[in-house]
Amino acid sequence: MGTHDPKAKRILYLLTSKLLSFDPSNLASTDADRFALAGSSQDLLLGAFFGFFIWPGASILPVLSLGLFSSGEDFQLETVRYYDLSNVQGTARGWEREERILLCAPLRDAESHLRMFFGHLRNFTYPHHLIDLAFLVSDSKDRTLPLLSELLEDLQADEDPKQPYGEISIIEKDFGQKVNQDVESRHGFAAQASRRKLMAQARNWLLSAALRPYHSWVYWRDVDVETAPFTILEDLMRHNKDVIVPNVWRPLPDWLGGEQPYDLNSWQESETALALADTLDEDAVIVEGYAEYATWRPHLAYLRDPYGDPDMEMDIDGVGGVSILAKAKVFRSGVHFPAFSFQKHAETEGFGKMAKRMQFSVVGLPHYTIWHLYEPSVDDIRHMEEMEQERKAREAEEEERQERMNKIKDQFTDPNSQWEKDKTDIQNEAMREKKAQDEDKEAQTDTKPAGDEPPAKAAPAEAPAQAKALDQEPAEV
Amino acid sequence: MNNVTSSSNPVGNRETILILTPLARFYQEYWDNLLKLSYPHELITLAFMIPKSREGNSATAQLQEQITKTQKSGPEKNRFASIIIERQDFDPPLASQNEGERHKMENQKARRAAMSRARNSLLFTTLGPSTSWVLWLDSDIVETPPDLIQDLAAHDKAIIVPNCFQRYTDKYKQPAERPYDFNSWQDSETAQKLGEQMGPDDILLEGYADMATYRTLMAYMVDEDGDPQQEVPLDGVGGTALLVKAEVHRDGAMFPPFPFYHLIETEGFAKMAKRLGWSATGLPNYRVYHYNE
Repeated sequence: MGTHDPKAKRILYLLTSKLLSFDPSNLASTDADRFALAGSSQDLLLGAFFGFFIWPGASILPVLSLGLFSSGEDFQLETVRYYDLSNVQGTARGWEREERILLCAPLRDAESHLRMFFGHLRNFTYPHHLIDLAFLVSDSKDRTLPLLSELLEDLQADEDPKQPYGEISIIEKDFGQKVNQDVESRHGFAAQASRRKLMAQARNWLLSAALRPYHSWVYWRDVDVETAPFTILEDLMRHNKDVIVPNVWRPLPDWLGGEQPYDLNSWQESETALALADTLDEDAVIVEGYAEYATWRPHLAYLRDPYGDPDMEMDIDGVGGVSILAKAKVFRSGVHFPAFSFQKHAETEGFGKMAKRMQFSVVGLPHYTIWHLYEPSVDDIRHMEEMEQERKAREAEEEERQERMNKIKDQFTDPNSQWEKDKTDIQNEAMREKKAQDEDKEAQTDTKPAGDEPPAKAAPAEAPAQAKALDQEPAEV
Repeated sequence: MNNVTSSSNPVGNRETILILTPLARFYQEYWDNLLKLSYPHELITLAFMIPKSREGNSATAQLQEQITKTQKSGPEKNRFASIIIERQDFDPPLASQNEGERHKMENQKARRAAMSRARNSLLFTTLGPSTSWVLWLDSDIVETPPDLIQDLAAHDKAIIVPNCFQRYTDKYKQPAERPYDFNSWQDSETAQKLGEQMGPDDILLEGYADMATYRTLMAYMVDEDGDPQQEVPLDGVGGTALLVKAEVHRDGAMFPPFPFYHLIETEGFAKMAKRLGWSATGLPNYRVYHYNE
């Protein structure tokens, strides 16, 4: 700091107020070396096109080595870029082929989680210079943006040459206005659909602004992941799938059971859910984890065996968004996070559905688990409140039902005993008639000269009738 | 990105335009027309998707030759802000077809699915955070008014499409014009009913006798002395020339390579945009011209 020669340093995130309200003086005030390019006019033009992208020296080289400028030195114009997309299809061992990853992190009031997230960034074993970071800061009332730029400065200025990442882009875009204008009821289950659609929109804005022709992979990562293997990028990549997600659980305090499945959005389609989807309105969105839609889908989360093979794969149709590794070609082909009801799903679940529709492989790892933070987020608290309300409503309903049952019972006790009484009366009447008949019969047999059979036959039939008569109406005897 | 605008006065607001062209064959007339566009070139980025076939190689070479001429030795005002060339094959190959074959129904679905993937790949790798508008311009569009971008943007619509015609010489050896792009239309009940009876993987196509949709085609809405500013609402759009506000694409509206409400490619795009709350507009009396094979 302080010793830098302004002429030698070029900061290439050419920010203007039009592009982004990101204060460049923040970055300029520290050691700008990491953000600078040993640049020529060529680099400046790039900066102009990409707007506020920051191009550290490390990242420009792989771009140039991807086979640009196919023909002749003559064609090396500073304003022209050439990319062969068959070089960026994504392979199982991307780190050996210097495949670039775009890491996307949507942020909203995320100040409290950012330090933890940067801790994870420092620990990733995938070569950092091959990873470009893209953040979307939306509708934040806390210090998400200033803290983010501060942490980025530190990371990019780290003395360890293995720490700094590739290009960094920060996009600020508020979608919130729309929520307030939304006529749809905002509470409970109904609000989920519009919340998911907004989240989808944010993800699409982030991806479409940050994806470049030299990315082979896209990794989506929520900032509130607490524990994950440092090797997660390589671990997921090795499976060589178009879309792959780990299992996401969260630890709980012991008194709450120790642990719990967290992400219920990774699931396999079921016949029940497909039949349900057919009955729903065009704009309806099925959201997992709500009683309104009992889908009976096999969830990745519930299939976890702590001692299971972490490499075991399961085909899934809906995916959760906490940690998704996808080949960039999936997004290039047009798969995105539907901000409308796509096959009755939106956001990450709709993303899984759309990827499947385009014949991409979508896979979850039931026994490879990462852990979401327990500390409940604002959304969680609201969610918990909603769940609590739902639970109370259910309890009230149950109580009411019980009461109703009791009432019914009370009202019907008298008729019941009346019926019993009538029944016995009828039986006794029948008994009396029978007795009279039997007496007649006995009289008849007495008159017969030979015949042991009839009384022997009659006896067993008579005995229970007598017994009944005895214990029911002693008074009658 | 809260401050990126796409307004009816794009020049005044210094709005950046991304012109996207899937290119299978290079037409000199296409490039010449591009150079004539009066929108400030320093606000225009061009991006091309070209197949890796032999034909694609030769198209690339021709394109690069023209680019070099313009960007290096041409007058300053002709130079574009930046140019991106991308190469990839999409099955089936994006070869230039002769007209007879191109319009064969059985080929159309596969061809347009491949075209969708090409369009999406081009779009999602070149759309930047500061892009305000995306102009889709096919490589065989050889003539447009020089003020094309300003004229279309002035309507301030999410999606707007001019009427695509073709010049030819009629049987009396007189110059004449005929409609070319039939993918811009207003939906009909007949088409809706046809769709309802179809399987999920079937698509509705325009211009086939054995699939009469009775849609109202913009191609036939022309009023010879009509106002070029006249707007009509559309349900399906063609992609030969098509101006889209960047936020429509950012929201996720893309060219479905699969049947989406029995629609594919640009027609499916209009439908997806509609599902996202956007709508499409056509200008029946504002013409652009397609190359005549």
